[in-house]
Amino acid sequence: MDIQLKLEVKEISKAYGNNEVLRRVNFAVLDGEFFSILGSSGCGKTTLLQILIGLLVADAGKIFKDGADITTLEPARRGMGIVFQNYALFDNMTVFKNVSYALQFHSVDNEAAIKKAAQMLDIVGLKNFSAKMPAELSGGQQQRVAIARALALEPDIILFDEPLSALDASTRLDIRRELKNIQRTLGTTMIYVTHDQEEAFALSDKIMILNRGVVSQIGSPEEIISAPANDYVKTFVLDNLQTKIDSLRRFLT
Amino acid sequence: MRKTFLICVAVIFSAGIFAPLGSLFLRITPEGFVQVINSPQFSSAVWNTISTGLIATIISLTLALAAAWTLERTAIKHKNFFVIIFGVPMLIPSISHSFGLVALFGANGWLTNIFQWNFNIYGAAGIIAGSIMYAFPVAFFIFMSVLQCEDGSPYLAAEVLGVPKIRQFLDLTLPYLKRTIISTFFAIFSMIATDYGVPLMIGGKTITLSVLMYNKAVAMMDYNSGSVIGAFLIIPAVIAFLADILNPAQKQNDFAKNISVDDKYSSRAGFIFCLSLSALIVAPILTFCVMIFAAKYPADMSFTLYHVMRTIHRGALDNWLNSLIIAFISAGVGTIFSFALAYFSTRTEGFAARIIHLLSIFPMTIPGIALGLGYVIFFHDLPIYGTLIILAAVNVMHFFSSPYLMMRNTLEKISSNVEAVGKVLGIPRRFIIRDIILPKVRFTLYEMFAYFFVNAMMTISAVSYLAPPAPKPIALMITQFEAQRLIESAAVVSIAILLTNLALKIFFTMLNRKTPASQ
Ligand SMILES: Nc1ncnc2c1ncn2[C@@H]1O[C@H](COP(=O)(O)OP(=O)(O)OP(=O)(O)O)[C@@H](O)[C@H]1O
Ligand SMILES: [Mg+2]
Repeated sequence: MDIQLKLEVKEISKAYGNNEVLRRVNFAVLDGEFFSILGSSGCGKTTLLQILIGLLVADAGKIFKDGADITTLEPARRGMGIVFQNYALFDNMTVFKNVSYALQFHSVDNEAAIKKAAQMLDIVGLKNFSAKMPAELSGGQQQRVAIARALALEPDIILFDEPLSALDASTRLDIRRELKNIQRTLGTTMIYVTHDQEEAFALSDKIMILNRGVVSQIGSPEEIISAPANDYVKTFVLDNLQTKIDSLRRFLT
Repeated sequence: MRKTFLICVAVIFSAGIFAPLGSLFLRITPEGFVQVINSPQFSSAVWNTISTGLIATIISLTLALAAAWTLERTAIKHKNFFVIIFGVPMLIPSISHSFGLVALFGANGWLTNIFQWNFNIYGAAGIIAGSIMYAFPVAFFIFMSVLQCEDGSPYLAAEVLGVPKIRQFLDLTLPYLKRTIISTFFAIFSMIATDYGVPLMIGGKTITLSVLMYNKAVAMMDYNSGSVIGAFLIIPAVIAFLADILNPAQKQNDFAKNISVDDKYSSRAGFIFCLSLSALIVAPILTFCVMIFAAKYPADMSFTLYHVMRTIHRGALDNWLNSLIIAFISAGVGTIFSFALAYFSTRTEGFAARIIHLLSIFPMTIPGIALGLGYVIFFHDLPIYGTLIILAAVNVMHFFSSPYLMMRNTLEKISSNVEAVGKVLGIPRRFIIRDIILPKVRFTLYEMFAYFFVNAMMTISAVSYLAPPAPKPIALMITQFEAQRLIESAAVVSIAILLTNLALKIFFTMLNRKTPASQ
């Protein structure tokens, strides 16, 4: 079995004035992997995502995708999609148009665009909502539109910025399952930013723990649980998880 | 692209604002300055401007706040009717307000004749009354919109805690409005102090600074003295500008609740108050309507078209057409230009965006009467002098800041991630603007267009220097008829302007109805 290296991030640093937001961040993501970036509020997660997709320029470091240097490539030419926390849907367009709209700028003809959008809406379970306006949908449904919109361009990597934090617990569970499904069926690599330990551990093949712009540890959930790299990982990640498990256990017995 | 845009903006602002303003200041010599400020007229004009301006500002703010509060916070009947009536004075030139007062209270006024009054409306009292008519609606709409945005949750809490209504007003509403009251106070004072329409007509022997400037610069073409006075008139506007900047707006709370009005809480006093205000506002306009068809108002009220025909014979139709063309050009160009700058200053980052913002709010500080003088001095020997284009240009620059701020306000509410999504999905910026931003800001665009149009239609300040030789806008006929004491013709023109502006407003209202907001 030969698993390919999809994305390689080398020595990325970024500062706003004196505020060093990211310090020499290194990591690699394998093809088809579900990779979470976990860290508390303000630790630089969004900044890192924006650098990966090219909306922000890093002060130093390089990004490679499939072995090619994409550090200075325009966002649209990186073959990546992104789902923002506030979805940023085009709220003057129907659900269908939201998904199909961008295709015309990638020399996809009209017929193919319609087919593609229908297919994507089907994948996220919104087939019957095509004609609705975003404002008529629930938060979870809007989120799915944003996912379908990103998928339509067939990116091989999708970035999610805290996609579930605005949703209620059961909707989160649904969407998590769906994300896993999409990952399995389309084989899309997913990079998932969250501050929720539980979420990261439930979803990920691999987790990177970020503490104030510095990588604390990268590993599979099992690796992190069995061998936390430092005190931060122990207290911030594992103790929190433990508390949750304990409370659940008390609740169940 | 970005560079070309910035260069264009720099050129437009240099030619449209800074060069004329610079030429105005260059006209000021030490001797001229000393001569002007030592003249006895000057010191009395300063006193008249400040005293009438302060009194009128305080009264219009008080009335406006009372009216806005009554309409927003009590279950008053016919609210929409009052809002429409209170907006009507914004559709006629300031000078028409003093005409209205003269028609009612002047030597031959309607009320004067009925009640055999013999007080003198000409002078400070008239200036104050006319200025209130002119400024009241502006302050009213500012207070209305701020009251509409106030968060209702503290009032719910106060209600539950049993805080009486009057204490709610004093302890919650007033502190919330403090910033608005301060900045509106300076803005209204500056608006009144720099207007010459009202005092020119009704001031009599009471000369304000703006009338003094008009007499010197427009009537006697004494540009040197005019420049000195013009520089003084910039002061109140600069103070208003600083008051606004140093007094930053509070952030709107995302969780704000609308204030629900208690149905039981309706007051008869509030209704009578709004009804009286409406009567005061409508009376002069109704008088105009009667006057223009009466043989010799108010003595002989038999119907005639004589006044209307005479006004047309004197060129009213041609001038009305001129005004329409100027208003459409100003509104079209002004709307596009202010959208472009508002888009740039809100949706891009960095130094250039901040500079663009400062440039865009700068025209606020220059009274039309000073800007117009700058235009004469600077453009006098250039080919566009004497054309409709220069009139449209001066209007765009003069009225630029308000529509810019309207658009900025709207754009700031749209998530900046829209552009980021565009970048990631490879949608060119112009499509993002065309297909996503423009549909979302459509109503603001209409509002901006109407603002430019209405103001271009009724302004008499900056344009008074430029026409003639440029084709004359119809509003300037009012000053002409004032000089000739043809009060009926001035009324015809005022009504013509009112109807034109009303037609445009109705058109946009219908457009808004037809296509409901998509957000
Ligand atoms: N445009 C900016 N200018 C200056 N500082 C910024 C800017 N954007 C972010 N920062 C700072 O960078 C740091 C990291 O921000 P970032 O948004 O990447 O954090 P985050 O991990 O995504 O946090 P959250 O969980 O709250 O979304 C913060 O301290 C923030 O204040
Ligand atoms: Mg973030």
